[in-house]
Amino acid sequence: MNDHQEITIDYAKISVAEIMTRDVVTVIEETTIEDLLELFGEHHYHSYPVVTKIGELSGIISEDIVLEILLFDRIPASGHTHLSAVRSLGDDASGIMMPYPVTVSPDTSLSETADLMLRHRVDRICVVDSGKLVGILSKRDIVNEICKRRD
Amino acid sequence: MHALLALLLILFLAKVFGELVERAGFPSILGEIVAGIVFGLLFLRPDNEALLFFSELGAIFLLFTAGYKEINLRELKTASKMALIPTLSQVLVAFGFGFLIGAIFDFPQMARLFIGVAFSITSIGVSVRTLIDLDYLSKKIGSTMLASAILDDLIGIFMLSVVISIAANQQIPAGMEILVIAGKMLGFIAVMAVLGRVVFPVLFTYIHRMRVKESIFAFVVMIALFSAYLAEAFGLHAVIGAFIGGACLSSVPLAKIEDVQSKVSGIAYGIFIPIFFAFIGLSVDPAAIQAAGLFALLVIVMALSGKLIGGFIGSRIAGFDSYDSLIFGVGVMPRAGIELVVISAGRSMGIIGDEIFSAIVLMVAVSVIVSPVLLKFAIKMKETHTAPEPTNTQPR
Repeated sequence: MNDHQEITIDYAKISVAEIMTRDVVTVIEETTIEDLLELFGEHHYHSYPVVTKIGELSGIISEDIVLEILLFDRIPASGHTHLSAVRSLGDDASGIMMPYPVTVSPDTSLSETADLMLRHRVDRICVVDSGKLVGILSKRDIVNEICKRRD
Repeated sequence: MHALLALLLILFLAKVFGELVERAGFPSILGEIVAGIVFGLLFLRPDNEALLFFSELGAIFLLFTAGYKEINLRELKTASKMALIPTLSQVLVAFGFGFLIGAIFDFPQMARLFIGVAFSITSIGVSVRTLIDLDYLSKKIGSTMLASAILDDLIGIFMLSVVISIAANQQIPAGMEILVIAGKMLGFIAVMAVLGRVVFPVLFTYIHRMRVKESIFAFVVMIALFSAYLAEAFGLHAVIGAFIGGACLSSVPLAKIEDVQSKVSGIAYGIFIPIFFAFIGLSVDPAAIQAAGLFALLVIVMALSGKLIGGFIGSRIAGFDSYDSLIFGVGVMPRAGIELVVISAGRSMGIIGDEIFSAIVLMVAVSVIVSPVLLKFAIKMKETHTAPEPTNTQPR
């Protein structure tokens, strides 16, 4: 696999900062559920990072969570834990978000990031520089980059 | 019987009966216990080392995941503000009733303490389901109940660790011994707190970079085993260590990646925990229940009424009206996972015998069947007697 990379492009030398989306649509912890749903209706993104007032990443809200909240009373009882019940009662972004999203620093290489995405089965990774959210990178972004460089 | 076949059969029965019970609208734990009983009837209580070991792992993972996935310090703070009085009241009355029944039937002091602890812990899962169905979770009494169940778990685990430390001494300790026990507990918590705050976060940044497959998952499991083992070294029970270990990990971001969480819950709820519950069923002696007759009946009545009365009084003191207090009291009646851990610990230490063990398992089963019905009844009663109360949140 390494041989293959060497003759084409060395993705270990490209950093996340080069291709990440810097202009991220985020929500703050206090954003209400109503506003959040509106946001999902407005944009086509799959998830929205949740940040504190000073821009520190605190969690992420994905489509999964929206489904979980909307369908909470339809999920079979075994799925009910304190946590999911508490989350269904949450009335702002911090109450329903998934804390501890997978993050990388801006200087992480593209190949390492791809490896993380595969290992942790996540579709997008938040890019964080000393606690603050500076960008986001999706699998699609990496695939697009590869296609672009091959041309 | 071959160990592999025994494992296969017990897991199969647990899943099949769990599904049947779940479809009938009750929690799957009931089916898993029944699976154990059926297994015992079919194969005459096979003495199986492997099964015993797996069920011990089940108890460890049950408590570990409770700490690892569920505990959230911020949530705990609001919970304790809201639900402290009702919780203390329902726990104390239930404990008192348990102790009392032990005294009435003249069991030794240690057994009385164990019955008391087994009476004290609530598993709110069944009630949550009912509350959602009737749209009551978002009302004040619903969220108080939820908060109470969280506190209740912590208090219960604390009581269990005290009782087990006392049990290890074989007698009710006095003076110095209490200090020694308290010192051991504090020592263990201090060690785990340092590990959780300082060591684990750093450790996981290295584990995160490991190339070996599933390194994070493996280390999360290792920490479950390590904390269980360390607790035993401190003279506490393994399950308490597992719970505290889980709680320590719950604030380490790299250990909480969703994919890792789902793997941990996969081996816990997919394999070990059902085996633990089935093993409980397997250990139930139907003959002992029959012989116990009146005792078993009293255990059920006292365990349920203890929660009801304690919960009612506590929420009245906290300022709820009688109808809401009744709903609270009924809502905290169901028991399930942790109380079964309590009695199997007591049984393996030789403190409680077949009679008490079987009666409490029966009580757990009755409580999860009866409470949802009573809860619906209590809510209906409130609704027919009072004007509808506006909900806190908008329906989504």
